[in-house]
Amino acid sequence: MENTINPRLTVSDFVALTNQTLEYAYPSVEVEGEVAGFKVNQGKYVFFDLKDSGASIGCFMTVWQLRQPIEDGMKIIVTATPKLTQWGKFSLTVRALRPSGEGSLKKSFELLKAKLDKEGLFAPERKRLLPALPQRIAVISSTQAAGYADFVKILNDRWGGLHVDVAQVQVQGTDAPDQIMRALKYFNAQEVLPEVIVIIRGGGSADDLSAFNDELLVRDIATSRVPTLVGVGHETDESLADLAADVRAATPSNAAQIIVPDRHEIIRSVRYKAQSVLPRTLQAIDGVRGQVQGNLGRILEAVEYQHQQSDTQLRRLRDVLAQLDPSVVLRRGYALIRGEQKVGSHIQIETHRAIIGAKVESYDEK
Amino acid sequence: MTKNNPKTIQEKIATLDELVAWFDSDNFTLETALDKFKDAETLAEEIEKDLSSLKNEIEVVKQKFDQA
Repeated sequence: MENTINPRLTVSDFVALTNQTLEYAYPSVEVEGEVAGFKVNQGKYVFFDLKDSGASIGCFMTVWQLRQPIEDGMKIIVTATPKLTQWGKFSLTVRALRPSGEGSLKKSFELLKAKLDKEGLFAPERKRLLPALPQRIAVISSTQAAGYADFVKILNDRWGGLHVDVAQVQVQGTDAPDQIMRALKYFNAQEVLPEVIVIIRGGGSADDLSAFNDELLVRDIATSRVPTLVGVGHETDESLADLAADVRAATPSNAAQIIVPDRHEIIRSVRYKAQSVLPRTLQAIDGVRGQVQGNLGRILEAVEYQHQQSDTQLRRLRDVLAQLDPSVVLRRGYALIRGEQKVGSHIQIETHRAIIGAKVESYDEK
Repeated sequence: MTKNNPKTIQEKIATLDELVAWFDSDNFTLETALDKFKDAETLAEEIEKDLSSLKNEIEVVKQKFDQA
């Protein structure tokens, strides 16, 4: 007699029904465990076991989904769908994974850093300069984040006249890398390209910041058409996105400081420049004044010299004249004779003291 | 400067730099210096006013990035 209560299924139907039931019950699960038996087949398929002290489960994914490197012994969290394979093996089909715990995050970071560094993604010669004074910039961040608010505050304080397009994205969690990559692609595809793309996020735990160590995101930042500036976390935090960017900012506030000059400093500099010409002008006025005074001095000296010369000459002439004065000669005892000098003539003799009348009694030529 | 083609801040700063450089050049004459000084002062005030009044235009793009 046939049992009508239990449905009779083919093996294939049973597997399909089980998968349907699993999909309904667990469309997506996050499972945390330690990696064991990690291997990549044909360069495409990734297999590993996820285990803890009590159990182990096989995991499968493609290399394209593996965006942070893992190795045996690392603790990770997988986002996966449980599945029964056609060979009856139960496994997790992994869509995404991320390292869990500080040790695993650090290990994954170092592995990917070494890999990308070897490819030259962080090479200094790849870095481009940011425009000195951009007119149009793009920002990728979470507009609710404190880091974004700091960036905007500093940007507005330092400079104005910028057009800023902001892409609102998640900056932590498993979806963050893809959202940031889409925003990067969006800005890189604009008809009018921004002059720089700024990616910012404030401080957080190593797990919070791990989105910025996603391999595909790091590669997209490195290959962006538009120069990139990345400011993630605090000064001491280092992300691979930082290393791949054209310019790294220590914090979101520092990103604003890098991207625009400080208008207050420029105002001070402009004031200084305008005032700096005054000493030059005063110096020129002093120079001319000195020159004029020098010339006047020389003129006065020349006039004084001429005056002295004339005075000396005048005194000399006066002395000569004084010597020629007849009264001076008379004072020295000489006499002046007037009248015809011949015997018998009456003559007049003038001395210093008197005028004497006399008759010439003799006259002999010398 | 005309209303249709106003100078940018950078252009004004460049003009100020030229004016300042004139004072150290061989073209310097005391007769022209006062006018040039007044020009420099006016330009500096203009730049300060421009810089202080400039506002950034921040726009969150409508495009959503949470889905592929």
